[in-house]
This record gives sequence, structure tokens and C-alpha cells, in this order.
Amino acid sequence: MALASRNDPAPLRALDTCTQVANVVGSLLIVALVLLIGADVLGRNLFSAPISGVPEMVKLSIVAIVFLQAPQALKAGRMTRSDALIERITNRFPRLGGAMETLFDMLAVTVVGAIFYATYPIFIKSWSRGDFVGAAGDFTAPTWPVKLMILIGAALLLLQFLARIARRYMRGAHDPV
Amino acid sequence: MTPFEIGLMALGGMGVFVMAGMYVPIALILMSFVGVWAIKGSPLLAAKMLGLAANDAIASYFFGVVPLFVLMGFLVSESGIGRDAFDVANAMFRKIKGGLGVGTVAANAIFAAVTGISIASAAVFTKIAVPEMRRHGYTSRFSVGVVAGSSVLGMLIPPSLLLILYGLLTEQSIGDLFLAGIGPGILLSVFFAIGVVLMATFTPKFTGETLSAGDEKLTGRELIRKSVPLTVLILVVLGGIYAGFFTPVEAGAVGAIGALIIGLAKRSLNLAALWRVLVETGLVTAAVCFLIIAAQMYSRMLAFSGVPNAFGQMAATADLGLMGLILLYVLVVILMGMILDSSSIMLILVPLMLPILNPMGVDLIWFGIVTVVAIEIGLLTPPFGISVYVIKSTLDDDSISLSDIFLGAAPFALMMLMCLALIIAFPVIATGLL
Amino acid sequence: NATIAAGHPPVFRWVKMLDEVFVPAVNTKLEGTDHSVNFTGQYGGAIAKVGEELEAVEAGLAELGTCQALFDPAKMAPQNVTYYTPFVSDDVGKVSDLMHRLQLEDANMQTSYDNNGVVYVGAPIVIDDYLLMTNFPVNSLADLEGQKIGAPGAALNWLEGTGAVGVSGNLTTYYNEIKTGVFDGVIVFASAALPGKLFEVAPYITRAGLGAQYAGSICANADWWDGLPAEVQTAMTEAAAETGDWYVSNLEAAVTGAFEAMAGAGATITDAPQDMRDAWAAGMDNAAKAWAEGIPGGTEVLSTYMEEMRAAGATPLRDWDKE
Ligand code: NA
Ligand code: NA
Repeated sequence: MALASRNDPAPLRALDTCTQVANVVGSLLIVALVLLIGADVLGRNLFSAPISGVPEMVKLSIVAIVFLQAPQALKAGRMTRSDALIERITNRFPRLGGAMETLFDMLAVTVVGAIFYATYPIFIKSWSRGDFVGAAGDFTAPTWPVKLMILIGAALLLLQFLARIARRYMRGAHDPV
Repeated sequence: MTPFEIGLMALGGMGVFVMAGMYVPIALILMSFVGVWAIKGSPLLAAKMLGLAANDAIASYFFGVVPLFVLMGFLVSESGIGRDAFDVANAMFRKIKGGLGVGTVAANAIFAAVTGISIASAAVFTKIAVPEMRRHGYTSRFSVGVVAGSSVLGMLIPPSLLLILYGLLTEQSIGDLFLAGIGPGILLSVFFAIGVVLMATFTPKFTGETLSAGDEKLTGRELIRKSVPLTVLILVVLGGIYAGFFTPVEAGAVGAIGALIIGLAKRSLNLAALWRVLVETGLVTAAVCFLIIAAQMYSRMLAFSGVPNAFGQMAATADLGLMGLILLYVLVVILMGMILDSSSIMLILVPLMLPILNPMGVDLIWFGIVTVVAIEIGLLTPPFGISVYVIKSTLDDDSISLSDIFLGAAPFALMMLMCLALIIAFPVIATGLL
Repeated sequence: NATIAAGHPPVFRWVKMLDEVFVPAVNTKLEGTDHSVNFTGQYGGAIAKVGEELEAVEAGLAELGTCQALFDPAKMAPQNVTYYTPFVSDDVGKVSDLMHRLQLEDANMQTSYDNNGVVYVGAPIVIDDYLLMTNFPVNSLADLEGQKIGAPGAALNWLEGTGAVGVSGNLTTYYNEIKTGVFDGVIVFASAALPGKLFEVAPYITRAGLGAQYAGSICANADWWDGLPAEVQTAMTEAAAETGDWYVSNLEAAVTGAFEAMAGAGATITDAPQDMRDAWAAGMDNAAKAWAEGIPGGTEVLSTYMEEMRAAGATPLRDWDKE
């Protein structure tokens, strides 16, 4: 599934690099979660010093983790699909198969675009009003970084779907899938 | 068109797109978008629904621990702890026909005692058991089927995130629910093991014509060396939960740290492996959670159409007596399991049923176990079966198609149905330990 | 047609009131007029989870919803004033009346609704007096020293200075967490403690007068509301007022019943001695002041609320607004 990206033009390579960076940030967030909960459990039981706001942080970071890594999951062929039928079609009628794939990718671009479009005002609102989770006086964390990561993830995902279309037509109809 | 008809069409549309090869989450999101657009008459409102669900659907503490349980699973796998458990289980069953399959079931039942979610079980044993079974002559279809089937044990044998969710909805003691899950978990494991042996004996075309036994026998010393690490991990996780050091939800992180320490102590983990595990965890988490987000959008669209409510009302208002009601309920749960994710089904149906069950004096602990087993059948049924999707995503092998996995898992779904019938007929299987 | 969104399932009183009181009341009031509203309840997170209702109503996905200010501490900041001012009043009716009036009259409260594209309809969701429920007897603050006490978000501030270790917790898991020993006790209210069977694991119930709290109310999408005929708007606000009255009396009866049932089940219910209450209140940081200074109009909201409560006959243990 992984296509040789060495032959890709610069914009596609840049996109893949960004996707990978997002993936790394997402992975580091998982480490942070493990450490945070571990420290909270230890602190609470050994030193009577729980860490404030752990549930809130977990709640915020899971969304960021998913959106930051979804583009790489698509790129690495991990996004779930049932490809038996479409592969059969592509083997017998390559053009039809390619057209179907492109149609599906364009529909994906549309709905991921809708998510981006609807999240943008949510991000702006969160940013300009300083929305937070938690309780003043105890623990608060701003919500805008997560909204921003959803935007970044959705944008990368959208571009990766476009890149699938671009690669399909650059490769031409002759190459095997 | 009425919203109800739109809802039904969206159900059909999802099936068509998924079979035609569209990415499953995209098909779900697309049908949610089109469905809400058609029901509410506004594409802008439909987009807003997607946006809100994307931001909030998994923004909760309970979903937050999904990557932790997956990470723990992969650490168990990478550090060789899972492999050891698998070897031990195989050593016990190597003389039996289909012994490796039985070993997979047994190892899964043991692993279930540390994990709270089935997708972690599915991911871990895809890596450990599938290559091994195929090497020993099992068909690909059967190998992934065994893994998919036995993965459901992860949420039946405690700890279980699904039982926690049920406890939250019904205000039942989570500790009691956990205890009640043990009996059915063991019963289902036994069912699976017997089923594997019977299939290996009577349907060799399905399981594989020439099955060889697992690798050579273990000495007593090896047996101990290999079973100690996982035993320690189970003791830490379950002991910690029951001693009040941490909650079942926090157990994911504690288990991950424990597996990491054991792996480092065994010198089977290094930095490069650790990073690989982490990235892998991220990819599986993203694929699965993105699917859950999409499924929740879909479930919200269906809520607007009134379809699930109509099904639920049907089950709730049918005047059938208790047994008839439970059977109809199970049927509705299984039907919903084909198209919705586990937590959505629970969130839709359980609150609908509660007011009807309460005056009938139904044991809500028993009802919880019935609910969880029925919902878990949905993990294995097409078109939306999350355990199957996780296996496909973890396998990363184009020679095994989604339908292969669904077909391989089908006998296990049937066995779950039989086990469910027993739990309904003999509640003591669930409530005996209370 | 109107969709009503609630994140909680209908077992909760503030969801039950929608189908049992609000909807029939609106229908009755509109009988004989040219108007009628067809309500669909989407509860238990079917279209919006707990804390997400405000956004769903704002977006227009639901026309009405239970806007839970408690779970939206930033968007509905002034509405959270009660959670920063403990030891003011344990009278559910008093808090309900005043908060209802403030939602309608106070400019800062109004701003929250305007900024989020929603309109206040009524029926304040008030939580009955918060209690201390523990698995050990409490006679003085010293008894709390080093104990792990679970409490929801803002109420963690209440444990500052008591010597107890405040751990953020969730109502729904308290039972299990006290049973296994993750918590030694919790801060919770009687109407939830009884159905949650908390008295089984934490049989020592101490009433310290932490106070009744405002959590949210029914709100409506602003555009939809503005497009309604005046007759329908009136029917809804009047129905909401009846719903609020039903809620308060139903809650008060439930609280009385809960204490009786818990006492009958062997729980030890005590009123904290006055010196313990005084010491508790005196030892706290003034989180209300810090909170008020951190949000627009906060200081004004704080003093209005405290003034009005005192005028209504409440005797706060601390004048949070005057320090
Ligand atoms: Na488990
Ligand atoms: Na399914």
C-alpha cells in the first residue's frame, strides 16, 4: 500500500512530512497520558497529593490524539475498508475502478471539509473567548489547542485524500495498483 | 419522505458504500451528513452536526483510556509477555486437535483479566496468534476468526469498560457487575474451546486440512518462567483495582507502565521497539477512534430519524411477558449491533428499557451481562464489526479481506448466541458469584 | 416541531421534568389556539452529551435543551456563581427563585445567553444541599485530615484548607470508588446519594451547610425563539415556570424521603457543629473572589448574588463579596 514517496513531487513530500510530524506529536501525547495517570495514582496513594484536572486532560487529549494520527493512519493504509469488490472491479476494468476510487476520495474530501468548516468557528470562539475546562481556582486548561489540532488533523486528512487522487493520475492507468 | 424513511435509506446507503469499498468511517460520516441534511433540510446544520460530534463524541474520560489499553496490549505483545502466555496455553492444549486455536482462546481469556476493551485483545492476538496458526496449517480465515471471536472476552471478563458504562447508566455496583462477568466469561471460553476442537475435527476445509501441533513441549521450569510475568501483571492490575489503589479506568495506564517495566526487566524491550509500539498504538487508536467518532455521528443522525427509538419502543411496549421482552430486546440489540458501535447501542437502549424492567423486578446485574454479551455479538457481525476492523487494521495484509474475517468469526458469533441463551435460561451463571 | 436535547437519561429529575411537566403544560396552554408544538425528546446523549446541550441548541440541532452551566464553566461563567460561594444557603427554593430572577434581570447573566445564541426559558435546575458522606465519623475538621474525598470540579475548592485530599470525581463512579477505597468519602447531595446507594459504603452523613447550587436550566435556540408567535413564547415561559415549581417541590420531597430512607438503612446523619462549620468556612481560600476577578462582570455578579441572598434571609458564613 505504501507508495514510493521518493518519486513524489515536492508538495506531496511536504504533506507526508507534515503528516508524520503530526503522528509523532500524537504519539508523544499518548506517553504524556500514561505518565500523567501514573503520577496521579502514585501521588494520590503515596503522598496524598493527587494531580488536579487529570480527567479533563485525558478528555482533551484523546480528541487531539485521534485527529493528529488519522492522516497517517490513512496514509499507512490502516483506515478500515472492505476492498474485495473494488479490487475485483479494478482488475477487470481499471478505469472504472479508478473512477470509483476517485469518487470515493472526493466524497471523503467533502465530508472532512465539512468537519473542518464546522470546526473553524468553534476554534475561533474558543480562542477569542478563552474557553477552558475545569474549575477556576482548582484547575483550568484552555480548549483552543485541541480545537486547533482538530483543524490541523482534518486539513491533513483532507489533503491526504486529495493526494490519493493526485497519485492515482500521476501514476497513469498502466501501472498496477 | 419522512425522517423515518430517510433513516432507513441511510442504513441501506451505508451498507452499499461499505461493500463498494468506501472507507468505513467516511461512509458513516457521509450518510450522517446526507441524512441530517435530508431530515433537517439544511446542509449547514448537517455540517454543524458533524463538527460538534467530531469535537465532542469521544471527548470523555472513558474514551480517553482507549489508547492506554491498546498501548498496554502492544507492550504485552512486544515484550514477549503475551507470547509467553500463548506458549503456556499451547503447551497445555498441544495434544488436542486444534490445540493452537484452543491456546489462543485460553490466552485471550487470561489477557482479558488485564484489559478493559476488546479491541486491545483483537490487536494483540492478531500479532501473536495469527502468524503462528497460519504457520501450523490453519487457514487464514479460521486464524483471524479465532482471534476475532475470543477478543470479545476482553470486555466480558473484568475489568471491562462496557460493564463500567452499563453500571453508570443503571446505577448498579460496578464491582458486582465485574463479578457477574466472570462466570459467563469462563463459560464462553469453554464454548469457544470446544467449538474450535469440533471444527478442527469435522470441518477441516474451514480450519485447515493438516494441522500441526504448536512447538515442542515446555519443561516445568520454562512453564514457570513463562507464566510468571503475565501472572504478576494480572495481580498488579486486578489487585490494584480491588485494593483501591486505582480505578478500573486508570488500570489501562498502570497496566501499560507495568508491562513496560516487565519488558525492560526481561530485556526484551529497547528504545527502538518502544517507539515502534507507540506509533503502532497511535495508528490503531486513530483508526478505531475515528471509526467511533463516525459511528456516533451516524447514531446521532439515526436519533433524528427516530429509527432506533422506534425499535426500542417496539421492544419496550410489546406486551410479551418478561421472557418474550428479553428475547425481543436481545434481537433488537443484535440487529443494532450490525450497524452501531457498542457504546451507542447501550446509550440508546438501556435507558429505554430501565423504566420497563424496574417494576418487573428484573435483576439488573444479570440484565447487564445479557446486554453486554448481546452487544458484543455486534463486534463480529457485518457490516459494522469493530473487532473485525481492528484485526484488519492491525494485520496490514492485503491477502486477508474483511469478508474473510467476518466469515471466520461467524461460528464464534453463533457460539456467543448459544452462550447467551444459556445465561438467559440460567441466570445463576451470571449471578452465582454474587 | 421542537427537539429537546438532554445529555442525561430520563432517570434524572431535570430530564424527567421535560416530558412529565413541561411538554404537557405547553400543550395544555396552546389548546384552543391556532398554534401547537410537536416535541421530540432526545435524551441520554442521543444527539448531545452532558455539557454539549448548549452547543447543540446554539447550532439549531435542537430547539430546546437543558443548558448545563455547571458543565460549561467558561461559556456560562456567571451562572456558576453558586458553586464558588458555599455556606450561603441550603434552601433549594431560595436558590431557585433568585437564580431564576437573575437569569431574567441581570445583564451579566443575560450576556452568557446572548453570546451563545440561546435564550433563557426557565426551570432552574437546582441541586440540593451538598453533604459530606464518608466511611468514617466526622465530628470536627481534624477528622478529615489526610482523607481522600471525591468531589466534582468546582467543589474541589471547598476542600481547600480542610486537610482532606480533594480528588476530582464523578457522581456515577463514587459508589465503586468508596467501596474499593480509592476515596474515603465524597461531597454529594442527598437526592443522588439515595439512588446511588452511597450510604452503603459511606454511612456517615454530615450536613455542613455547603449549600444548594444552581446547575442550569431550559434554554432555547435564539433564532427559533425569536421566530415564535408571542402566544407560544408565553406558553413556554409559563410552562417552564410550572416545571420549575414542580422540580423544586419534587426535589424537596425527594430530599426529605432520602434522609429518612438512608437513616432507616442505618446511616448516621449528623449536623456538623457550628464551630466546625465556622472553622471550615474560615479556612477556605476566597475562590469566589479569584473567580469573580477572572471573568467579565464577575465581581458585579458575585456581589449581586450575595446581596440578594442576604436580602432573601440567608445568613452566609462568609461574605465572599466583601473580603
Ligand atoms: Na477484561
Ligand atoms: Na456489527
